[in-house]
Amino acid sequence: MTALSAHLIDEIKALPARYPQPRSAVMPALDLAQEELGYLTPEAMTEVATALQLDAGYVEGVATFYTLFHLEPIGKHRFYMCTNLSCTLRGAEELVEHLRGAIGVHEAGDVSKDGLFSYEEVECMGACEYAPMCRVDHRYHYDLTAEKIDGLVAERRAPASAPVQASAPHPSPAHKRDEDVTSGLLPDGERGASSPPKKRAPRKKKADG
Amino acid sequence: MAEQRGTVGGPVLTEWFAKADLHTLDVYESLGGYSALRKVVTTMTAQQVIDEVKISGLRGRGGADFPTAMKWSFVPKDHPGPKYIVVNADESEPGSAKDRYLMENSPHALIEGAAIASFAIGGHQAWIYIRGEYDLPYEMLRDAIAEAHAKGYLGDHPFGADHALDVRLYRGHGAYICGEETALLESLEGKRAQPRSRPPFPAVKGAWGLPTAVNNVETLSTVPWIIRHGGAEYASRGTEKAKGTRMVTVSGDVKKPGNYEIEIGVTYRDIIEGLAGGMLPGRKLKVFWPGGSSAKVLPASMLDTSTDLDGLKALGTMGGSGGIIVMDDSHCVVKAAARLLRFYAFESCGKCTPCRVGGNWAVRTYDRIMANEGSQLELGILERVSDGLQNGRCLCGLGDAAGWVIESTMRHFHDEYEDHCLRHTCNVGRALAHA
Repeated sequence: MTALSAHLIDEIKALPARYPQPRSAVMPALDLAQEELGYLTPEAMTEVATALQLDAGYVEGVATFYTLFHLEPIGKHRFYMCTNLSCTLRGAEELVEHLRGAIGVHEAGDVSKDGLFSYEEVECMGACEYAPMCRVDHRYHYDLTAEKIDGLVAERRAPASAPVQASAPHPSPAHKRDEDVTSGLLPDGERGASSPPKKRAPRKKKADG
Repeated sequence: MAEQRGTVGGPVLTEWFAKADLHTLDVYESLGGYSALRKVVTTMTAQQVIDEVKISGLRGRGGADFPTAMKWSFVPKDHPGPKYIVVNADESEPGSAKDRYLMENSPHALIEGAAIASFAIGGHQAWIYIRGEYDLPYEMLRDAIAEAHAKGYLGDHPFGADHALDVRLYRGHGAYICGEETALLESLEGKRAQPRSRPPFPAVKGAWGLPTAVNNVETLSTVPWIIRHGGAEYASRGTEKAKGTRMVTVSGDVKKPGNYEIEIGVTYRDIIEGLAGGMLPGRKLKVFWPGGSSAKVLPASMLDTSTDLDGLKALGTMGGSGGIIVMDDSHCVVKAAARLLRFYAFESCGKCTPCRVGGNWAVRTYDRIMANEGSQLELGILERVSDGLQNGRCLCGLGDAAGWVIESTMRHFHDEYEDHCLRHTCNVGRALAHA
């Protein structure tokens, strides 16, 4: 029994050909593994290494360097809360405390009992004009308040009440984009399966160009 | 609905931002998009492109402020194998959000600029290294690249010309250091992102060991405009030496945070009190970071400082990546510096000892100060650590930046540090004599 599915291993083996040198495939490969498992287990990293003909220690060394790779179980919905200066000036620290209560965890990294939620404080995510902000399920959420946090949590607790997922909303142009486009998005693990938005070219999963 | 916060319909970069669906190729092209790339590949030589950009005076907008045409000209012309343009879309400088704003509004401008740059260095492939948190810009760029390929604007014969051009994407996975160009190249090669020692410079030995020019998103997004209107037209804006317009992100304690396109040379008063609407009711400006958290702070008394890049350098600070963080008198400078040092210590890649050790030393010192355990000793430690982080003791600028935060906040707000360390009080809310 392997940690990663056979078709994912095949997909990983096809990655190196996309780059001028095969080693560049290590992060995209870890990305695929994490998407399938939710986080990177030692077994998964070893299998990635084998598939890419790299040393397992090397792959783990890369995985541990970057903050978006998780080496411990995370909640189905991970809140990345910016607490860098621009967000902190606008109340980010209080919001983190509120989030802890809302999802029922004591500290960063803890997973809520139902397995749905975890959070971490992260550095600047480059949306300072909308501070305080956070990232959940591959989308940014802006001008956060305690009420907005409650809303983000509630709609993930009761996905049935969220908008139908058959047509995942595509970002409209920035000047009229709905900040809460996430409400219709699928959870992390099913991201690759979301419906193509309008005018999208044939989609290669995680295609790099 | 998240309203647009920033300039739409500005002179250069945001010229078309008021148009709906600008992110689609149809709309972008209907306004004149891709006419620059067409002109370049069908009528110009690589040297003519470099010359035109040289006339414009365009300088890198990622923070280093290096002349773009010169950077391209450093890439050896006679190199036989592949050469690369690498786009630094790893925007991670605290306070900077302008590259995200540009990519979300006009992904085709970046793609067109990257393709023109590839042509200018005699290369065929550009790689956009985009930070992993930027899901939406990534998706928009991916779709835009597919559109450009489908139209034949990228590919083996763009616009029928005999010079293959391609733009590809590579996602980062969370590391501030990837904004440093050699660390970015390491990451692109599938390694831990630790800066390289130079020489060799990327122009000679860059991505995958091959000649490479690394350019910022804003820099390349400007290039199509320069080709369309001519370098001289671009150079007619800005100051004598710092030409053109640039994006700034204003964040923090202002009424209207946003990404604004400014003509270089306007003052920070024009930006903070004008474009960003000034301070919140009843509050007074205390301090601002003029170019990202890594730029040395300027106190409120220096609000009339010009955004002229050389003038900022002369003051010992910089325009950096354009992130202007504004703080008013309801916030504590020492606490802000403590927060930023936590950032720099966390993001240190660990390669150079002064940065790895010094950053954590500073964090522990600030922790004691914030716990009201500070004394004259802590003031001395901060001064020594600040010095130890700076002045070329590290391979890249991260250590310097950490040191600058300590040094510049201590220089301008020594009374706040003394309040915390010697009197265990915080003067937040109290009017400052020099503010």
